[in-house]
Amino acid sequence: MGSRDDCIRFLLDGEVVEVSGLPATTTVLDWLRDHAGRTGTKEGCAEGDCGACTVLLGEYQGGNAPLRYRTFNSCIRFLPTIDGCELVTVESLVDDGVLHPAQRALVAEHGSQCGFCTPGFVMSLAGLYLEQPAPDREQVVRAIAGNLCRCTGYRPIIDAGLAMGGLEPAKTWHPERVDTPARRAALAKLVRRRTLELPDLVAPRSLDELASWRQAEPDAQLLAGGTDLGLEVTKALRNLPKLIYTGQVPELHVLETAAAGLRIGAAVPLADAWAAIVDAFPGFEEVADRFASPPVCHSGTLGGNVANGSPIGDCMPVLLALDARVELRRGASVRELSLADFYLDYRRTAMAADEFLVAITIPGAQGCWHYAGYKLGKRWDQDISAVCAGFAIQVDAKVIVAARLGFGGMAGIPARAPAAEAALIGATVEGASFEVAADALASDFEPIDDLRASASYRLISAGNLLRRFGLALTSEEQRKPLSVWEVTP
Amino acid sequence: MSEAVDFRYIGTRPVRPDGLDKVTGRANFGADFTLPGMLHGRFLRSPHAHARILNIDLEAALAVPGVKAIVTGKDFPEVEPGDIQGGEGAGDYHDLAVNVMARDKVLYHGHAVAAVAATSVRAAEQAIRAIKVEYEVLPAVLDIDSAMAANAPLLHEQLYTEGLPEKPARPSNVAQVMESTRGDIEAGFAEADVIIERTYITPTVHQGYIEPHACVARWGQDEQSLIWCATQGSFDVRSMTARVLGLNVSRLKVIPSEIGGGFGGKTTIYLEPVAIMLSRRSGRPVKLVMTREEVFRASGPASASKIKLKIGARKDGSLTAMYAWLGYEAGAFKGSPMVPGVMCVFAPYDVPAFKAEGYDVLVNKPKVAAYRAPGAPQALFATESAMDELARELGMDPIELRLKNAVRDGSQAAYGPKFNSIGLEACLEAARAHPNYQRPLEPGQGRGVAVGFWFNVGMQSSAEIHVNEDGTATVIEGNPDIGGSRASMALMAAEELCIPYENVRVVVADTESAGFTNVTGGSRVTFATGMAVIEAARDIISQLKQRAAALWNVDEDMVDWVDGKVVPKPGINVEAEPMSLADMAAESAKTGGPLLGRASLNARGAGPAFSVNLCDVAVDPETGKVDVLSFTAIQDAGKAIHPSYVEGQMQGGAVQGIGWALNEEYVYNGDGVMENAGFLDYRIPVASDLPMIDTQILEVPNPGHPYGVRGVGETPIVAPLAAVANAVSAATGLRMTELPLSPPRIVAALEAAKG
Ligand code: FES
Ligand code: FES
Repeated sequence: MGSRDDCIRFLLDGEVVEVSGLPATTTVLDWLRDHAGRTGTKEGCAEGDCGACTVLLGEYQGGNAPLRYRTFNSCIRFLPTIDGCELVTVESLVDDGVLHPAQRALVAEHGSQCGFCTPGFVMSLAGLYLEQPAPDREQVVRAIAGNLCRCTGYRPIIDAGLAMGGLEPAKTWHPERVDTPARRAALAKLVRRRTLELPDLVAPRSLDELASWRQAEPDAQLLAGGTDLGLEVTKALRNLPKLIYTGQVPELHVLETAAAGLRIGAAVPLADAWAAIVDAFPGFEEVADRFASPPVCHSGTLGGNVANGSPIGDCMPVLLALDARVELRRGASVRELSLADFYLDYRRTAMAADEFLVAITIPGAQGCWHYAGYKLGKRWDQDISAVCAGFAIQVDAKVIVAARLGFGGMAGIPARAPAAEAALIGATVEGASFEVAADALASDFEPIDDLRASASYRLISAGNLLRRFGLALTSEEQRKPLSVWEVTP
Repeated sequence: MSEAVDFRYIGTRPVRPDGLDKVTGRANFGADFTLPGMLHGRFLRSPHAHARILNIDLEAALAVPGVKAIVTGKDFPEVEPGDIQGGEGAGDYHDLAVNVMARDKVLYHGHAVAAVAATSVRAAEQAIRAIKVEYEVLPAVLDIDSAMAANAPLLHEQLYTEGLPEKPARPSNVAQVMESTRGDIEAGFAEADVIIERTYITPTVHQGYIEPHACVARWGQDEQSLIWCATQGSFDVRSMTARVLGLNVSRLKVIPSEIGGGFGGKTTIYLEPVAIMLSRRSGRPVKLVMTREEVFRASGPASASKIKLKIGARKDGSLTAMYAWLGYEAGAFKGSPMVPGVMCVFAPYDVPAFKAEGYDVLVNKPKVAAYRAPGAPQALFATESAMDELARELGMDPIELRLKNAVRDGSQAAYGPKFNSIGLEACLEAARAHPNYQRPLEPGQGRGVAVGFWFNVGMQSSAEIHVNEDGTATVIEGNPDIGGSRASMALMAAEELCIPYENVRVVVADTESAGFTNVTGGSRVTFATGMAVIEAARDIISQLKQRAAALWNVDEDMVDWVDGKVVPKPGINVEAEPMSLADMAAESAKTGGPLLGRASLNARGAGPAFSVNLCDVAVDPETGKVDVLSFTAIQDAGKAIHPSYVEGQMQGGAVQGIGWALNEEYVYNGDGVMENAGFLDYRIPVASDLPMIDTQILEVPNPGHPYGVRGVGETPIVAPLAAVANAVSAATGLRMTELPLSPPRIVAALEAAKG
């Protein structure tokens, strides 16, 4: 399988760091704190939920593509997955003794009380600054959606985000100054010519290499963004089998958009996947925003989400409504399956042990379709939903000719609602039709009681979402625009 | 009365001295400290809510490579009962010791059973999994009603209810009862035209500080031991750890790290004695850090409560009688905040007759700890919900009703003393005049009003000020800075010494370098430690006057301190240039040596703090989602030393209260296992859940403090529970009496109302 290398290399503060001899499941956070002595990055949960560990990852995308910097949760990301990238921590931001504008603004606005959350907020704001040095309130709130602060109530932190733009600009970490030839050259040098292979992890560099590893090691665990798997190490303390990391396979990063539809490579980050879906289906405008926190969307992949098949995963109802298909590969052979047939049982899919997910395809829409996505959780951002729904109906001359209703949280697997769909097809677009469909949900699902919600709440609110969809389609005074991905709590 | 009127620095908003450390990552918190040769420790915790430990087999665990020490309850000394002094939460030293490491019984899921120190966290984890424990599982009690039932399983067979006229014949799960009464409530209720009577329920919630508990400990062969940890009170860690281990207090040095939030939850100990014991056994320093899950399962959350409340009023709104039955869950050991709950439940109102009875109830859950104004949010959730309902019944404006009954200067507080210089009326008036109270509401929206209250405390503090040779000053004190107190101390020292704020450096010192100081808690630091700083500065000024008198050859009382300079009193005829602190510092060798001021005191005269909150919500009837549209916190802070940090306390407390009202709760299964022990399922508010919290500081000076400081930190969390619930009730037309007001609960209530 070609030449190998067992040393992880990445850029930190302008220098190449080489790491070998550590378990592949060593998180970036543990490496920073325990091995590099950089304790500025904090651990508040080790579960990707608090943002205290937020850092930036710089990626060289080859050719003339600009360097890309994005936040991620260092507590659930394994060190080998940042191979070839630049790591930027709170300690990296001070430039010739001058604080980054995010840091200066947080000091001036009294944005810390205890200060434990502060480095994480600094990094989220610094990441935003690299996209938009003078953000508005909505952008600031969006950027800090994955950061918890228990002391301040957020007001001074938001004020700091708004104030950044008015301060003396950052020297290095500025969108116009970060992408230097020197930095590009340093990162280009890290591009692999040999496959990274550790005793407990291999990172194939092509689809064929991945396919042969998958067949050679059917017991190995595929690792994509690691936002789920990272938890199993940090939280469940599970000892993982050998890992096959998919992030270095260029073919899996391909995102094709065409009139015929979308093809999203399995390793495409959630953030980019959602952006493409929203672009193609404006009905899901805010889906990307509400799906998860920015750092999670930057690390997590659509492929990982789909392959994991969590019943509460928020992607799946929308993908079901869009009639998505999955492309699976085993050795040299490829097969396609409808997503609706992919899920068999709780956390069990139709994928064989030596098979892997290559891409998710979404057909283009013909005719007049209406879409909506809803998410019911306890709070707006970054929540596991109690119920999640993706709806698509096709209307012709006021008659519903096709309907796809995808739900999460209503059964052991993400699933369509055939009875409710049948109730809609052939009916006219009016409130009464949706009433009937909402009532039909009771024969589609027998949801469970758990800590997130009771069975009856799930059933009642799922029906209400369908009614709301109907209302939005029919009512003159739409209470809420249809395109809104409602996160309701 | 407050002496100073025109302040130089007090009331300004300078950048905090440690601001840069916090934004650059340089600030070191509990888990950021490392010693050479340090081991990592992990705990084995009980998988049962209640069980007898029959046997612990360590053999396999000790054989795990890298394991250097394992300790269990057998390794710790027996500790005599005795009330814990100075902490924020009530408690007992014996209980504390048994909570830190279980002895013969485990009393909650997550109770520590053993701890391992090893060369890596992974090795320690592996050893933990290799420990074999035999349990005899016992029935558990998980709520107030089942704990108080006649034949309830007992947590402690030797526990007899205290507070009864006679020692009861049988042990019980009720640790203490308390009654507070005045006047004839029967007659009062007979006089009432309207009576409101309901039962209010609040769940177990957590303080939710983002930094997990952490410490590093090093045992010395000479018994001189070191603890580095994140705590609200380093002296409390010292005394508690010494007591649990049977050590002499002088043998322990506690260095407080920066602290990543506490809100009362870091006023006690969980890790420190275990770390010392592991260090002693292994001969190496040991670091212990809780996981987030352990923080939820095994630190000290806030009490769940059940409160039955009855209030009576005449048609004109005047209260005739109030009655409350208050049950607070203590967790596995006695010491819920029942007592402050009983004391504050009627505190805002002047009512001729009242009776409150409180119950401190043991259940198989972690021992509760203080959480901002312990006991008050639960109690005033009940009172303020009932007042809201009363206003509705009477057709009165809710602020009007409260103004009619509010305590004022001279009112006899329900908890005892006569109020003097309080701000409740001023807060109510400010609320009524606030633009947010006038904003018109749309259909589906509702507005809630509620009053908050906290006693505030003083307690013991010390401070030293060293004047440097260039006239700058170093303040040494012992309260970990949890929300900007270094800035407040520096402002007060600068004010007294008339030197620029930037010339004061405040050091939070360890237990061997600062004088004894009680916890950072109870809203006492700016008040009490601030008072010590002021007194230490005044000590310097009086020394300056003495020294100037000697230099000028005049009597001491002929020297004044004016505008930062020692000057001869008017009319005193001497050749003397006025001298500043810097001038005097330069002369210190000639005038008696280095300038050092100090003060140690037991601060009295803490001033109670009232607040009024306004909350507007929109409720989505189909999904039960509550949107907080606006939230206004108005509070009497006394003199605000650094208004930004006062506002910070008000905003942070409001948001914690909003979380408590809407989302937060420990979800237990029938076996007493918390099912949502992580931030993913224990939802604390994020930025997008919230409006910008509006604040208005009122400054009714506290006569018990030289500047009129009152104490700010606790009161903000008290009113939001009822303010939110009242707003939701207004929006839905349904009285919501059980928290949290989660979407499922609201949908269920709406469905039930439909019939
Ligand atoms: S430590 Fe909480 S998200 Fe990483
Ligand atoms: S300042 Fe304490 S958690 Fe944010």
